Amino acid sequence: MTTRRALLGWMAGAALLATGGWATAVSAEQATLNALWMGWPEEQVDPLMDAFREAHPEITLNVERIPFAQIFQTIEVRLNARGPDPDIFIVDSPLTASYAVRGYLLDLTPHLDASRFTKAGLAAGTVDGKIYSAPFGSSSALLFYNKKLLAEAGIEPPSTDPAERWTWAELVDAAKKVAKPDQGIWGFVFEQAERPYQLLPLPMSLGAEMISADGLTATGYLDSAKSVEAFQFYQDLYQKEQVSPPGVFDNNLTFELFGTGKVGFFVGNPYDLVNLPNKYPDLEWGLAPHPYFVDGTPVTPTGAWHIGVNPNTDQMEAALTFIDFMMQDDTQRLWLSLRPYPPVLEAVWEAEADTTFADPGWGIVRHELAETARARPATPGWREYEDIMRLAIRDIQTGADVQATLTAAAERIDRELAKYR
Amino acid sequence: MGNGIRERGWIPLLFLAPALIGLIVFRLAPIGIAIVGGFLQQTLRGETVFAGLANYLDLATDPVFWNSVRVTLLFNVLINPFQVVVALGLALLVFRPGPGVTFFRAAYFLPMCVSLAIVSVLWNILLDTQLGPVNGLLSALGLERQPFFRSESQALLTMIGIASWKGCGYWMMFLLAGLYAIPDDFHEAARIDGANAWQRFRYVTLPLMRRPILFVLIADTAINFLFFAPIYIITNGGPAGATDLLMFQAYQSAFAYLNHGRSLAISTILLVVIALFAVVEFRLFRSPSDA
Repeated sequence: MTTRRALLGWMAGAALLATGGWATAVSAEQATLNALWMGWPEEQVDPLMDAFREAHPEITLNVERIPFAQIFQTIEVRLNARGPDPDIFIVDSPLTASYAVRGYLLDLTPHLDASRFTKAGLAAGTVDGKIYSAPFGSSSALLFYNKKLLAEAGIEPPSTDPAERWTWAELVDAAKKVAKPDQGIWGFVFEQAERPYQLLPLPMSLGAEMISADGLTATGYLDSAKSVEAFQFYQDLYQKEQVSPPGVFDNNLTFELFGTGKVGFFVGNPYDLVNLPNKYPDLEWGLAPHPYFVDGTPVTPTGAWHIGVNPNTDQMEAALTFIDFMMQDDTQRLWLSLRPYPPVLEAVWEAEADTTFADPGWGIVRHELAETARARPATPGWREYEDIMRLAIRDIQTGADVQATLTAAAERIDRELAKYR
Repeated sequence: MGNGIRERGWIPLLFLAPALIGLIVFRLAPIGIAIVGGFLQQTLRGETVFAGLANYLDLATDPVFWNSVRVTLLFNVLINPFQVVVALGLALLVFRPGPGVTFFRAAYFLPMCVSLAIVSVLWNILLDTQLGPVNGLLSALGLERQPFFRSESQALLTMIGIASWKGCGYWMMFLLAGLYAIPDDFHEAARIDGANAWQRFRYVTLPLMRRPILFVLIADTAINFLFFAPIYIITNGGPAGATDLLMFQAYQSAFAYLNHGRSLAISTILLVVIALFAVVEFRLFRSPSDA
């Protein structure tokens, strides 16, 4: 009996302690913001967050970095709980519509000065005339090449002039000369080898539309003759020509293959302009514009990371303070220096015109953003579209029949998008 | 005395409470939620509405689901008997004391101590078509490189291979315990009657191992129907749906296609299928004396 009483007393005490501790935490003056962020390297995230902490000591900022391969699932689970956590989250711009229709995003229109943003950046965060995700970066694509491998294969490197950009056929010819699959040397690799982001520009370059105008039907678009032709080309890179390494899907691995001198050509992002010299200072590389199909027009991918506010946050004021801070010119210039996504603020383009953007690589990026950039299909079902397409791309790479795979993927997408009708 | 026990009937419950609460929170409640959730759907705005059989009817007309059912059944029809036979074989090999037996027991059990996620990553690298050491060995021996996870025809068998590499040693331990529980007298009596090794195995060991084998078979079946991590990490259900197990479809439905109702419907179907398999296995292995 005494033992039981002692036990009960101990439990009650513990409970008191626990609730007491909680009460103290809640009554503190400090506002706490929880941010769900992309799993970029610490040195590209921490300085940005520390700048915010320094400017706003009254706000405690917790940042969770989630790897790219899990970020969309994580956001889905956390936001679908419809609770107050996280207060802030990183938004891949083509998912803005998906999140907005499901009530994951606060309408930021009253809190942003739309005139400060580039047209494309603003468009990527806007749904039905309202800004749901605050633009934090854009993206583009560049053709990187390994100078040593090209010289060894006796290849004249491609020009930096967009008017003289290579066709895909020229790229494959050169890649074939570089590739020695038995020695683990490859001709070419897409940085995001399974992602529609970098691969939809192939059919788009041939003039294919990837979804219906209302964004809800893929059949007849994704599996059109032009789309099949483009993805047949993609399959041939791995199967017929054997210039690309099959089964390497993780963008960290493709980056590493290029960085360690195992690939001749690499379609990468402007942030690689900083990541490559940081991680592989000895690699000698050059730049050229993204290739295109000779029967088509040059098309490059664009759109990137934006920032969203959870409408259920109980730290609304602090969350908007965060957005305001991240939208300042200086913050976005800092961000550009950490991980260079093409800016979405006109002021940053102007301020860095003679420094960062004087670089010939950035000259190409500016040209692409103005002339060839095409956003991903506008649909509230981008999450489903992207994942179904990703699996189809894997199958195509492995050698599956291209027409049958794309038709099945399109049917699957239509099935999943029915809920948005 | 009898009254005292009745009065204090709650005390045993109190002692059982931690385990019972765990069972309810982590097992029974999720099962309940899955069964109920299979009849619900979420609107775009997150409201939950009653959907009747809509999720099940949707699955019935979905070719991806039916392919997944086919793959899941094929996987289990192959892997469960295979693992039980291999586990029993390993148990018999390391049963009798002999030189190095402890080493082999530990070696067979060791893969169980590696997390499934790490096993997946390791075997994915080992079996890589171009860069993997296994293919390096094959080509050094003058044999053809094998695509393993990248081939529609080999991917599922390769999955069975790595699942068994990890699982068989574990199930071996249960069967080993079963072997030790058979009194030596039985074998001795059989030997005196002139039974040879095969006859002793067939007529003494096997009948007496009925219960441990049944346990291993049922537990193994339940685990293999829920096989998930290597699919998620290595193949994502591919190539061309060759490893698209129902668990992966349940995951995809919830987290990629944002369709929780269908995900829970698939989970419920899995639960029913596992229960059916367990009943069949139970009947197959029921000893005549239990009938």
